Amino acid sequence: MSIEPYSTRVRALFDTPAHAGGLDDAASSSIDDQGVRIQLFAQVEAGSIRGLRFRAWGCPHVIAAAEAFCECYEGRQASDLSDFTASELMQSLPVPIEKSGRILVIEDAVRSLGKVLCGTSEPHD
Amino acid sequence: MTDKPDLIYLDYAATTPVDPRVVAAMSRLLEMDGDFANPSADHLAGRRSSVHVANAAEQLAALLHVHPDRLIWTSGATESNNLAIIGAARARQHRGQHLITMPTEHKAVTDVFRALERQGFDVTWLLPDECGALDIDALEAAFRDDTQLVSIMHVNNETGLLQDIARIGESCRRRDVLLHVDAAQSVGKLPVDLGQLPVDLASMTAHKMYGPKGIGGLYIADRPGCHIEPLMFGGGQQRRLRPGTLAVHLIAGFGCAAEIAATSLAEDLEHLTTLRDQLWAGIRDVPGIRLNGDIDNSFPGILNASIADIEGESLLLALEPLCVATGSACNSQSQEPSYVLRALGRSDAEAQSAIRFSLGRQTRSEDIVVAVRRYRSAVSKLRDLAPVLAA
Repeated sequence: MSIEPYSTRVRALFDTPAHAGGLDDAASSSIDDQGVRIQLFAQVEAGSIRGLRFRAWGCPHVIAAAEAFCECYEGRQASDLSDFTASELMQSLPVPIEKSGRILVIEDAVRSLGKVLCGTSEPHD
Repeated sequence: MTDKPDLIYLDYAATTPVDPRVVAAMSRLLEMDGDFANPSADHLAGRRSSVHVANAAEQLAALLHVHPDRLIWTSGATESNNLAIIGAARARQHRGQHLITMPTEHKAVTDVFRALERQGFDVTWLLPDECGALDIDALEAAFRDDTQLVSIMHVNNETGLLQDIARIGESCRRRDVLLHVDAAQSVGKLPVDLGQLPVDLASMTAHKMYGPKGIGGLYIADRPGCHIEPLMFGGGQQRRLRPGTLAVHLIAGFGCAAEIAATSLAEDLEHLTTLRDQLWAGIRDVPGIRLNGDIDNSFPGILNASIADIEGESLLLALEPLCVATGSACNSQSQEPSYVLRALGRSDAEAQSAIRFSLGRQTRSEDIVVAVRRYRSAVSKLRDLAPVLAA
């Protein structure tokens, strides 16, 4: 039985969120829902995400999830954002099931960012 | 494991480490050559064990300034609260079924009153002022002809606020209403003279005062009309009010802790006041901080503060290696905002961001230096992380 409410990965992402902060001249999305506030910033060049940053107000899992998202998608194609699902973060961190609503807020923010960048919010088939 | 430094324990209101002198006193009673026997037994070994029980009662009675016969051993303050409140309500229900308490009491009191409500008792819940104090005029107005019991805690476990038990007790005495006091956070930490205070029933526990977990006490005043009915049956121990074989080693440990407290009380209070003042001086200028309680009318071992625009769970993690309590009630499994702080008028967000620092004998000034530094940096970090969203 684990006595820790947070995985080593969640702790590490929470302790040193390398992608925390804002970006100038960047596309952004913001959501305030379910007791979570999230703001995402992306700088895109030739369809590629050159910079990805976040600001977040929420529990440690929310902050860790936002950092994990930025870590994973920086450098990828902007069109990949529509592939993002909360479930991949839920499993990889992991995040307890009772907090799934909060991670879905991040998914909404990512979709919103994708829509700003690519004009679509629907996942690829 | 992480590479974080050693833990700094600032949760003495939850429980305290056992004093080494208490450990030694208890250990001697557990072994074959110790006085481990059932103290109710008539043989020599039993009689020897009973001496330890009697000594412990004298030690605790001396701390409280009462006669040892007025004390009942229980498993802790939760059981004492249950026994006192339900026992008194049932013993006096032929005279009336109206009871009075506050929503800021510990769950071990509020849940008991809710259970009594389900059984047909009528409970008046008196709201506190913004610091948590009971308005005596509101108490006076709440009394009815059928009021039988008032239950008010001495020191609030979340904010440290001290209630004016003397005045509350005087009001109760004038109406022949029993007063029960949950003194779990005050016995052994503050002077509690039950010989002088107009208190009829008082609950206490050893593990909040450097004694072992699993042993508590209930004081029952020697006064006409001050009776309780037992909740458990099965033996003649303790005047049939709380049957069961007495845990001699735990009782002896409680007694030893009480004796130590009696001699160190003034020194402990001075130590805690110095540290509490050091802590508050170090964080009081953090923007958005708000004290919960009343620093001028509090047990100095507890300091509770909310902070604007900070998420409580993240604050708690960012504060590590400090071991403190959050505003998510005393039940850390719950993320619900503290019902005590909500009753003081704090918003959900304020209650959820509250941190209770509780200090003890082993807390050092260096620990407070770290606590201040950690609190300030945690708040700063989380504010830097937070988005600035348009309203």
